[in-house]
Amino acid sequence: MGMNRKWAFLFLMLACISLVSGCWSKKELTDVALVSALGIDIDEKGRYVGTFQIINPGNVAGGMQGGGAGQGPSVSVYSTTGNNIVEVSRRASTKISRRLYYAHTNLVVVSDELAEKEGLAAIMDAFDRHPEFRTTARVVIARESSAADIVKTLTAVDKIPANKVIKTMELTEKRWGEHVKTNIQEVTKDLVSPGKEPILTGFRMIGNAKKGEKMENVQESALDAILQADAIAVFKDDKLVDWLTGETARGTLWVLDKIKSTGISIDWQDKQEAIAYQVVRQKTKVTATMKNGQPQISINVQAEGDIDEANVPVNLADPRVLLRIEKALGKEIEKEIHKSIQHASQHKTDIFGFGEAMHRSEPESWKRMEKNWNDEHFPKLKVKVNVDAYIRRTGLRSKPMHFGGHLRVGPPVGQRVKAVGFSTPRG
Amino acid sequence: MPSFFKRKNVTKTRYNQKSGNKEQSPEKKPGSIGFSLSVNLDIIKQRTGNSTDIITRHVKIGPNYGLKTVVVYVAGIVNEQFIHDFLIESLMKDHFLQEDLNLENAAEIIVDDLVALSSVMQISEWNQLLLSLMSGDTIILIDGLDKALSVSTEGGEKRAIEEPGAQVSVRGSRAGFVESLGTNTALVRRIIKSPDLWLESMKIGKVTKTDVAIMYINGIAKQEIVEEVRSRLNKLEVDSILESGYIEQLIEDQTFTPFPTLYNTERPDIVAGNLLEGRIAIFIDGTPFVLLAPAVFVQFFQSTDDYYARFDMATALRLLRILIFIISLIAPAAYVAVTTFHQEMIPTQLVITVAAQREAVPFPAFVEALIMEVTFEILREAGIRLPRAVGSAVSIVGALVIGQAAVQAGIVSPAMVIIVSITAIASFATPSFSMAISARLIRFFIMISAATFGFYGIILAFIMLLAHLCSLRSFSVPYMTPLAPFILANVGDTIVRFPWLDLGTRPKLISQKDNIGQGETMKSQPPENSGMVTANTGKGDGNES
Repeated sequence: MGMNRKWAFLFLMLACISLVSGCWSKKELTDVALVSALGIDIDEKGRYVGTFQIINPGNVAGGMQGGGAGQGPSVSVYSTTGNNIVEVSRRASTKISRRLYYAHTNLVVVSDELAEKEGLAAIMDAFDRHPEFRTTARVVIARESSAADIVKTLTAVDKIPANKVIKTMELTEKRWGEHVKTNIQEVTKDLVSPGKEPILTGFRMIGNAKKGEKMENVQESALDAILQADAIAVFKDDKLVDWLTGETARGTLWVLDKIKSTGISIDWQDKQEAIAYQVVRQKTKVTATMKNGQPQISINVQAEGDIDEANVPVNLADPRVLLRIEKALGKEIEKEIHKSIQHASQHKTDIFGFGEAMHRSEPESWKRMEKNWNDEHFPKLKVKVNVDAYIRRTGLRSKPMHFGGHLRVGPPVGQRVKAVGFSTPRG
Repeated sequence: MPSFFKRKNVTKTRYNQKSGNKEQSPEKKPGSIGFSLSVNLDIIKQRTGNSTDIITRHVKIGPNYGLKTVVVYVAGIVNEQFIHDFLIESLMKDHFLQEDLNLENAAEIIVDDLVALSSVMQISEWNQLLLSLMSGDTIILIDGLDKALSVSTEGGEKRAIEEPGAQVSVRGSRAGFVESLGTNTALVRRIIKSPDLWLESMKIGKVTKTDVAIMYINGIAKQEIVEEVRSRLNKLEVDSILESGYIEQLIEDQTFTPFPTLYNTERPDIVAGNLLEGRIAIFIDGTPFVLLAPAVFVQFFQSTDDYYARFDMATALRLLRILIFIISLIAPAAYVAVTTFHQEMIPTQLVITVAAQREAVPFPAFVEALIMEVTFEILREAGIRLPRAVGSAVSIVGALVIGQAAVQAGIVSPAMVIIVSITAIASFATPSFSMAISARLIRFFIMISAATFGFYGIILAFIMLLAHLCSLRSFSVPYMTPLAPFILANVGDTIVRFPWLDLGTRPKLISQKDNIGQGETMKSQPPENSGMVTANTGKGDGNES
C-alpha cells in the first residue's frame, strides 16, 4: 500500500518534470551554426548589416574521414540587414540552414563608420543581454575597411579568421604594446564609467577584399589580403573620435599598465635609434591627488629590461654608461607617455581612467568634477610622469661589434638588417 | 524493510525440524528404521529410485559370521579408499575383536573398536540416514538392529586451491576459495587462529540440502546481526541453493535495487579481514564465493592491495577508483549532454573537432551513444560465452567493426568510440564485479536522463541515486556508513586509507568492540641517543636523529 503510493508519487513527479522542462533546449551539433565572428556595418539607410562568420567544422578539423581539411573554406560568411541586432540575427535564418549559436563567438568587429555615427552602446546592449553571447568576446574596430571585409577574409596559419584576429591582437599587445585587447565586458564597463573612456584596437584589411574571400588567398605564400592590427580607436561619449598610432598608442598602454614587453630605441652619440632596449617587466602606478583645489595625477613607471642591440661603440661593461642609458630610456618612455596624454587632452577624452583614479582617492572632489570631467577638468589636468628604467642584462655579448674598430663581422652598419621587432616603422 | 526488532511471525518451521512422514513407510513407527535388514535395504532402494551409484556391500561379522551386515554408500562422493581400508577391511578381518560381538553390543563394538575413522554416529530415523548417505557418509546396517551407523567418509574429487579468478591482487595470499565448504572454512581458520572464531552449520534447500555455514568472531561481531543472519537463513524454504547468489538475493534487505548489499569474495584474506571488522561470513558448499554481511558502499571500492600497500598509494588508488566509477557511470551521458545541450561548455577548438566528426553521422548523439554502448555490451556478453578457440576471432571482428569500420562508414564518430572505450575500461577497473555490473545498468538510465535534460538530467539522476543509496540498508546497517551517518572515527578507512597506526577503531555500527588498541605506542622510533648513524663514527652526540 504505502509502497505503491510512494511509487505513484515518484511516477507523478517524473511525469511533471518531463512536462515542465522537456527537451526544449536540445540542439544537436549538426543543427547549430557555430558563429566565430560577427561583423557589424551600417548601410546607407542607417540599418545594421550583420556579417556572420560561420565555422565549417569539416574543413577546419581534418579527422579521419578522408582528410576533409583544406577542401573548402574554413568558414562561410553570410550577411543580413536589420534595424537592430536581434533582427539581424533572426533574419539570418532566411539564409542559414542552422540555428546561429553564439556561445563560441569570440570576436565582434564594428565598422569605423558605425562607431563614428552611432556609437557602441546601442549594439553592446544586445551582446551583453544575450545569454549565449560571451562577454569575454573581443571587440575590434574595422579601420578604413568594412567590418564585413575583416570577417570575410580567409587567413592562412590560423584557419579560422576570428582566431587569427584575436591571436594577433593578443600577441602584439604582449610583444609590442601598441594595441590593446578589449572584450565586451570591458567596453561596456568603460562606456558607463564617467571616469574612463573605452579604447579598442583597430583592424585593417590590406589587399584585395574580393581575393581575400577566395580559397586561393590561403593557397599562396604571400597572401592577397591580410588582416593587420592597426592603431587604437579612441572613444568619447560612446563615439569614435580619433585613432592613436605608434608611440602615442604605446604611451597609452604604459599609462594603463598594460605593457608586458616591448622594444624601445634611443639615440646614442648622434646616431639615431642606436640602442634597442627590450622591456621584460614593468609596473605603472597612477595616483590622483587634489593640490590647491586642482586635480593632479602622478604616474610612476618602473621598467626592467635588457639591451638587445647596440649599434654604436658603447662600453656596456661600464656601470656609469649603463646608468646614462637608463636615464635616456626613462626620458624616451616619458616622452611617449606625455605624447599620448597630450593627444587625449586635445580630444578631451580620458582614456587612461584618471577619472576613476580620482574617484578612488578623492571621492568628494570627484563628485563635483564628475559631470564635466572629460570636457573641462581632464584637458587641464596636471600630470607628473616619473619613469625609472633599469637594465638587467646586456645580452650574451658585452662589446658591440665595432667597439674599438678591430673586430668587424657581418655587413656594414648602415645596411645591417635589424631584428624584426625593432625595425618596424611605427604607425 | 525488515529490522531486528520487528520480527515477522514465523509460522514455518525449519526444514530439518519437519518430520519426514511418509505413508509408504512400512514400519509401525513411521520414519524409524526397522529391524529387518532386507526391508531396510528395500526402503533405501525404493527411496532412492534404485539409483545405480548407491553401492551396497554385504558382509557377515561376529563369531561364526552370524550377523548379516550391509555397508551402503554413494559412489563418487565418498572416499572409497577409507571405506575399504578402515571400514570393510576391519569388519571382515579383525575377528579377534569380534569374539564377543552380538546383536546387542554390535553397534558399540563397531564404533569403539572396528571403525578407524573419526566420526561415527548412530541414527534411527530414515530421513537422517538418507541425508547422511547423500552427504557422503557411509551407512552400516545390521540385520535385527533398528539402528544404523553413519560413518563420516566424505570425499571425492575436489579442485585444488588455486589463485582466485575474479579477484586478483598484486600482493598478498595467492590462495582462493574452492567449491568445498570444508576447505574454505579451513582456509580462514588458518589465518585466524582463535577459539573465538565460531562456525555454525546448517543445510538449506529442500532438495539440494546444501551445506551452509556462518562464521564470525565471537566478541567482535554484533550479536544482533549474527542472530539476524541466522534467522534469515533459517527462514529460507527453497528447493535449491546452487550458488551464493541464491542466498544473497534471498536474504538481502531490499530486492529492488541495482546495488549489491552483500559482499562476495573469493579470497580468504578478505574474509578474514572482514571477520575482524565484525562482519559475518556465509559459506555455501559448492561455490568459491563467500558472502559477507553487512556490506557498505565504500567496501566495494576497496581492494586487498589497499591494505598491503603504503597508505599514500592506497589512498590515491581509492580516489582513482571512485573517479573510475563515476566515469563508468556518466561518460557517455556527459558526451550526449555536452553535444546536444551544452556546446558552450567545451572549448571552441574541441567543439569544432567534435562537430566535424558528428557532421557525417546520421544519428542524434544519444542514438549514436546507445548504438555503441549496446554493441559493446553485446561484444562483452559474447566474449564471456565464447569457446576459447573462437574468442580471438570475435575480438578481431569486434575491434574492426566497432573501432574502424563503423567510423569509416560514418555511422559513429571517432569521439564516441573513445568515450565508449573509456567507459568500458573504467567498468572493468572497479574491484568488485557486482558493483561494476550495477554501474552498467545505471549508465543507461543516466544516458536517457542526459538525453532528455542535459546536465540537469545527469545531476537529477545523481541526486536520485544518492537518495536511493542513503535509503539502503544491509542487515540494518545503513549502506553509506560511515559517510551518510557520518562517523568520524571510521572515515579513515573509506575512500581514503589512513596509515595503519591511525586506524584504531573497528566500524562502529558493524562490530561490537570499537577499539583495536593500536596506536602511538607501537610507533617505531629511532633510538634516542647514539643512534645507528653516529654509532660507527664514534663521536656523534646523537642529535642527528
